[in-house]
Formats: sequence, C-alpha cells, structure tokens
Amino acid sequence: MIRTETLTKRYGSIVAVDEIDLDVRAGDIYGFLGANGSGKTTTVRMLLGLAFPTSGHILVLGQPIPKSKRTVLPMIGALVEGPAAYGRLSGRANLALFDAMDATGVRRSRRSRIEESLDRVGLGGVDSRPVKSYSLGMRQRLGLAQAILRTPRLLILDEPTNGLDPQGIREIRDLLLDLNGQGTTVFLSSHLLAEVEQTCSRVGVLDRGRLVLQDDLATLTAPTGRTSVRTPDVAKACQALQSRVVVAGDDGLLIETDDPAATNAALVAAGVRVLELGPERHTLEEVVLAATQSGADSMARP
Amino acid sequence: MALATALAIGTPLALRELPASNTTATATERLAQLHASAAQPYSGYVESLGTLQLPVADELLDLGPLFGERTRMRVWWNDPVLWRVDRLTATGEEDLVQSGGVTTQWAYEGTKVTKTPEADVRLPRISDLLPPELARYLLEDVQPADAATLPAERIAGRSALGLSVAPPDPRSSVDHVDVWIDEETGVPLRLSLFADGSSNSALSSTFLDFSPGASSSDVFDFSAPRESTIERSDVVDVADAANRFAPVRPPRTAAGLPLSRDTELRGVGVYGTGLTRVLAIPLWKDVASPLREQLLATPTVEQLAEGPALSVGPLGILLTHFTESNGGWLIAGTVTQETLADVAVDLQKAQPLPSLFREG
Amino acid sequence: MIGVELRKMLRSHRTWITILLINALPTLVGVLLALTDLGPRPGSGPAFLSAVLSDGTLFPLAAVAIVLPLFLPTAVAVVAGEAIAGEAQAGTLRYVLVRPVGRTRLLVAKLVSVVVFVLLAVLVVAVSAYVLGSFLLGDQPVSASVSGTTLTSEQIAWRTALALGYAVLSMLGVAAIALFLSTVVESPLAAAMGALAVLIGSSLLLTLDAANSLSPFLPTRYWLSFIDLFRDPILWRNVLRGTGLQLLYVAVFLGAAWANFTTKDITD
Repeated sequence: MIRTETLTKRYGSIVAVDEIDLDVRAGDIYGFLGANGSGKTTTVRMLLGLAFPTSGHILVLGQPIPKSKRTVLPMIGALVEGPAAYGRLSGRANLALFDAMDATGVRRSRRSRIEESLDRVGLGGVDSRPVKSYSLGMRQRLGLAQAILRTPRLLILDEPTNGLDPQGIREIRDLLLDLNGQGTTVFLSSHLLAEVEQTCSRVGVLDRGRLVLQDDLATLTAPTGRTSVRTPDVAKACQALQSRVVVAGDDGLLIETDDPAATNAALVAAGVRVLELGPERHTLEEVVLAATQSGADSMARP
Repeated sequence: MALATALAIGTPLALRELPASNTTATATERLAQLHASAAQPYSGYVESLGTLQLPVADELLDLGPLFGERTRMRVWWNDPVLWRVDRLTATGEEDLVQSGGVTTQWAYEGTKVTKTPEADVRLPRISDLLPPELARYLLEDVQPADAATLPAERIAGRSALGLSVAPPDPRSSVDHVDVWIDEETGVPLRLSLFADGSSNSALSSTFLDFSPGASSSDVFDFSAPRESTIERSDVVDVADAANRFAPVRPPRTAAGLPLSRDTELRGVGVYGTGLTRVLAIPLWKDVASPLREQLLATPTVEQLAEGPALSVGPLGILLTHFTESNGGWLIAGTVTQETLADVAVDLQKAQPLPSLFREG
Repeated sequence: MIGVELRKMLRSHRTWITILLINALPTLVGVLLALTDLGPRPGSGPAFLSAVLSDGTLFPLAAVAIVLPLFLPTAVAVVAGEAIAGEAQAGTLRYVLVRPVGRTRLLVAKLVSVVVFVLLAVLVVAVSAYVLGSFLLGDQPVSASVSGTTLTSEQIAWRTALALGYAVLSMLGVAAIALFLSTVVESPLAAAMGALAVLIGSSLLLTLDAANSLSPFLPTRYWLSFIDLFRDPILWRNVLRGTGLQLLYVAVFLGAAWANFTTKDITD
C-alpha cells in the first residue's frame, strides 16, 4: 500500500526525514509512532504530495507520488495535523464542498455519502450551526468524516484522536477497526503508545527522522522465551529451578524456559507458593524505549 | 515564463528601436521638406510637456497648463482652415474645431460651446502645441547655416529625420530647437525647445500616433448638443481685443527688431521672427493689475526700471506701467531680459490714438 | 473546482458586506449631490460626476469612476490576497490539495472567483447607481459624448456596458499580483497589503516625470481610460493598451504564482 525507499527530506542543513523505508501492506493498521518533532508529519505530507522529498521514492497504492497524485489521492482519505474546515459554514456544507472539489464523485449520491460518513463518526444528528462553534472533538470527528467520505482504500490519519474524550477515542478506534475489517488499510500516525498498541497490527517507529523499528505488533510483543513467576518464596524457588533462573527479585523471578506448565509443576512440587506465573512479553513501550533515544524535544546535555 | 515576460515587454521596445532611415539628406534638404509640408494633411495623437511655470491670472489663466503641464491631444488636420484638436483630460475634454472660418470651442465640463472668428493676433491655444504648428511658428525663417542634422529616429512608428536649429541672433533666449520630421511627408513629428543654459527641454511635443492623409469630413462636423449653452463672441481673447481696440500703435521697430508684417497688426506689436520673437500687448487695467500682482508675488521676479520682469525658461516676460492708467504693455517672447527692457523703452514711443487711452 | 470556489464566494457574508461597503461611497455621493445640487468644479472630481446633475442615468459611470481608483482595487487585493494564504491560514489548503484539487486548477479557480467578485461588485455599483440616479438626480437626458457630438441612447448604453467591462478588466492586474503574493506569504493580510503597496507605488510613479519611461507598464496607468470610450470617435489607443497591460500582468503574475505554488511544500 505504501512503500518508500530511502525517503529523505532536508530543510537546509536540518534532516527532517532520513532515508526511511516504510512498508505498509494491504489490510494493515499501521501505527507510525514517534515523538513530536521526529518527522512524522513531514513524512505524512510527503506521502500525500503536499511536500516534495529531497531524495528517495514513494509508492502509494503502487503508484509514484507526487507524480501520480491525481490518480492516487482520490482513493485516499486523510487527516493531517488536525482537522480544518471553513468556519462559517456548517459541517454538512463543508463536506458538500470538499466532496464537490473532487470531480470523480457522483453528484447524485453526494447527500447520502455525507449523511453516511457523518453517522459513522457520530455526528449524524448535528444541526446547521457553523463549524467555528464546534468543540475540538466535533471538529476531529468532522475531519474524520471528511476523510472517509469517499470510502477510501487507504486512510492516512495524523493524530486522529486529538481532543477526544476516552469515550470518543474508543468510538474512533472501533470505527477504524470496522473500516479495516471492510478492507481499508489504515496508516495511523501518533505519539500515543497506548493508542497504537490497542489499534494497530503493525508498527513503525520514527526517531529523529530515522525509522528505527518496523515490524508486526504481534512479533514485537511475542513471548520472549522466558517465564515470569511471582511468589513470596523466592529463595525456595531458586533452589528448585537452579540454573534456569535468570533474575531473582524480592517477590518474583524470571526463568529461562518456554514451557510455563512444566515450570509450574516443578515449583508446586517443591512447595513454592505461586501467586502468578506466565510467559514473559515485552510491552510496546519497552520495545520503543529500547529502540529510541531520549525524546526529540528534550534538550538535555549529552 | 520569463521568456514570455521578456517578449511582452521587449517587443514594443524592439519595435521602437527598429532601425530608422539611414538617409544622407542634408540639413538644407530637410528644412526644405519641413517647409514644404505645410499643406500635408495628417491625424494622430500628440503629447506635449511644458515645464514653464507662468504667473498667470484671470484672462491669461489658460496659458498656465499649456506651457507648464503635460497635454494630451488628438488631432485631425486636413488643412490650416479645416482641423480639429481635442485636449484630453482625465475627466473630459476641450476641443477646438476650425471649419468654415469659424473656430468652435467645446468644453465638456460645463457643456459649453464658444464660437469665434479667426483673429489676426491671439494668445497661444492648444493647437499651437502640435509639433507641426510649433515648427511653423518657431522655425519659419531658419537658414540652412543654422541647422545641423541629427540621427534619424523612430517616432510614432515612423522613420523621422532630425534637425537641430540654433538661433544666430544673440537677442534670442533659445539655445536650440530639435525637430524630427516624418521622412515620408516632411511633417514635424517631434519638437523640443531648449533654453539657454539648460540641458532639459523647456517645451516638447511629440506624436505618439501619426497617420498621414486627410480625415473624413464628419470628424469636423460639430453641431452643438441640445443641452449645451452656445456663446458667440466676436473677440477671441485679450490679445485680439487689444489688437483691435487699444488706442495705441506700437512703433515700427523695437530693440532693433522689425515689426512683423505677416498679420494685420494694430494695437499689438509682434517683433522679430522665428526663435527671436517678442510680442507687445497693451493691456487694460483689469487685465494688467492682477497680472502685475501675480508677477510681483513670484519669487524670481526682477524689478527693472521698466517694470517687473521674469524669465521662465526661454520665455521672458515684462509688464510696463502706463502712467495714465494702471494698464501696461505685456512684453513676452523668446528673448533675453536686456532685449525685453530695450523693447519696453522703444514702446514708450508708441503713438496714442486721438481717442485717449484712458479708463472710462 | 471553479464551481466550488464560486459557491464559497457567493455564500460568504463577507463578499456581500464588502460589496455593500464599496457601494456605500457612490451612494453617499449620489445622495449628497441630490441634496445640495453642487457639482464638482470642472477638471476636479471623478469623470461624469458633473454630468449627472442634469442626467441621473449617467450616474453608473460616475459611480464606477468613484470606486475604481481606491475602493474596488482594495477589495480586490483583499479578496485575492485571501485566496491561497487564507486557505493556508485556516488549514483547509492541505485538505483541498489532497482531495485532490490540482494546484494549477486551484489557482485558476481562485482567479476566476476574484473576477466574478469584481464583476458582481461593478454590477451592484452600476445598478444601484442607476436606480439612485434615475430617482434622485437630474432627469434631462444628456446626449452629448465627451467630444460634444450627439450619441443615441443605444450608443450610450452600449458604450456604458463596454466601460463597465473595462473597469472589471482593469482589476485583473491587481488580482494577479495579490494572488501571486498570496502564494508567497503566510498571511492573507500581508498579501493584500503587498498588492496595495504596488498600486500606491504605481499611482505615485505616474505623477513623476522622471518615471515617464516606466509609465506604460504601471498597472494603474490606463485605469481611468474608460472615459475614452465616450469620446467621439472612440479613442481606442489607451483602452487597448490598458487591456493588453492587464493581460500581461495576469500572464506574468499568474505564471509566477503557478511557478511558485506548484513547487512549494505546503507546511501550514
């Protein structure tokens, strides 16, 4: 769906995006993670043909960007750096204008398209008040409605849950999963680990313009081949398991094994009181922190 | 893009730079061609630029813009008794139509029509700003020895041959006059007048569009629109009035310059010819007094024994004082200030007519 | 896209408020003339204003002459300056472009919308001036052309239409300049101010003899030449030059706007 090769953007001597090779496959919900200022938005702008790469290549839906913008962009829905709309017009009027801008749309079905996308983002009952009186959350929803107006094959969303309350975030997540279920590929750029972890199937991590990590979420958070045990009888447990213990703490230990069941049996046989036992997994946060340096906005001395 | 811009701006400039004629016609031939062109009909668009700030008042008010401003004119000229000149302004126009011995003046603002006969002597008017008329007036008596050729130029899209004329007479205040005549018809297309000691032209006039040939007669038809006010006047202006009614007769020479015999002169004296020419107009009190005040209020005025005098570019002005009344001789011309003073002295010999020149 | 831009422009309250404001000055002038019956002195004041005291149906021309030097170009500069920079400031530019709307197409649509705005403004000014003129001002029909010849009312109507068209055309240069600046600067106000600065500079240079060689290329040089259409015979010289000059400005500045805008990173 999206492939980039050594995609680079320089502003003078500053390298905003440094030779990144994105690979988003059809059907993915791709989480594009990075701190503020890491180059996410610049990358998104280049994917949409808004900014021009200094070097490297972009293929979106198999076609080169920005050369084939005209044929590719109608199949893409986008939300870039916050929603925007004509403040004096109502939400419906805004959608009608944006729909009319793209000449590929059928005019007769415009009304139903608008109503359907408003329904999907939870704005179906909105009245004709102007957008400038909308709350941030409503604007975000309207922006999403605008992005899904043409049932795109690919959604490129930059921080789509900005300004939404937990309930709203949940609704949007459900909407994205729903759309993804219907075959839409989603490219979700975010700085929120939890959002990506809960929604995405594949993750790319951008750190100071470099793509430091790109893999399936399932692979990244797969069992590490170790089992963690929580027990008040740490000493006893160490005795029972001997050399397989990797780390022993005050109230638990980590054991080198990929068979938790056998471990459990061994511990119980040794009279160890097991509070909790299971295969060890890294959280996404741990993976990301391991891959990145301190935040791009930190200005600490080296 | 840059190419298109360059083309759009460059093309007109390039056309202007088209090589003009490389003829080897001598000054004598060019002068002859100029003088022979008097009967040539033409039409076109003329722009003149005067830099002379004249102290004018009341009856002479119209002269200010004529010599001190940029004037845009359209002209249709079939012959000296059938022509039309429109002075174009941003908000209207003022036209002069000469046809059938009557001069019709039309002022759009005021919707006013004034019809006058042709006068022997009159003040300058817009038609005098046309290059052919200026040349006729200024260069009538030029001798080939005083003329030099100038490189040809392209004026109003036509190839024009240049002449530079310097008056030999030391009494003249004109340094030189440059004139370019149409190579085909001899009609002057541009004329610039330079005062002594100045490199910028005091008065210049040039065709921006020029086409030779007569215009169809309907251009000269002027029937006053029904809402206009029509005024018929037997007297053209103060100069005409002075010439006809002033009870004085100027002397036959002044400052050594002979009285012109071209026109019928009575009260007004015209001395000299061409670039060395001076006019003496006797003014009544009601014209002379405001003019005198205006002159005295001008910072560059000089008080001569004969009266206040002023040099504006090549133009010298002196206003004498009649002892009998507050009137005076207005002496003006393209002569030096000493010559003006000499003329004033000689004018004291003017003969009063039996009917005494007194205010009634 | 042109349709969308027109809808946006026509639906905006600001469009109509601007037009009403433009129209306010000639209306005020018309009412004052009707109340006082005092015309401007010859040679001063806008063209045709002295004639409307006798014939109110000429007031549309006088009204256009009143708004042409300042009000209309200011409005055009604001509207055209808003075109790209305004969308960028509101953040909608990126959404318009990913819709996708081609950048060239967007520029052309914006220019067309500005031209329609001018057309609308001139029409509103002319029509309301006609109404006001026929009810409040003089009712002796003037048949004279500026040159003093008599024109039929058909000729007058036809030449008036031509003059209004020329007034619209005269605004093309400002529109193109403001549109170009709108692609360069971030703020719509700066673009409008820039275009106005060009106009003020142009008007100033026109009064300067030293700048004489520049004057045929100054955007305001031929603005008031529409009066030439009422001379008899019509003086086409300056009207044609004015038309050519405005088209030249459109070509140059729309070209520059295009060259700048189509290669620019949208970073709003």
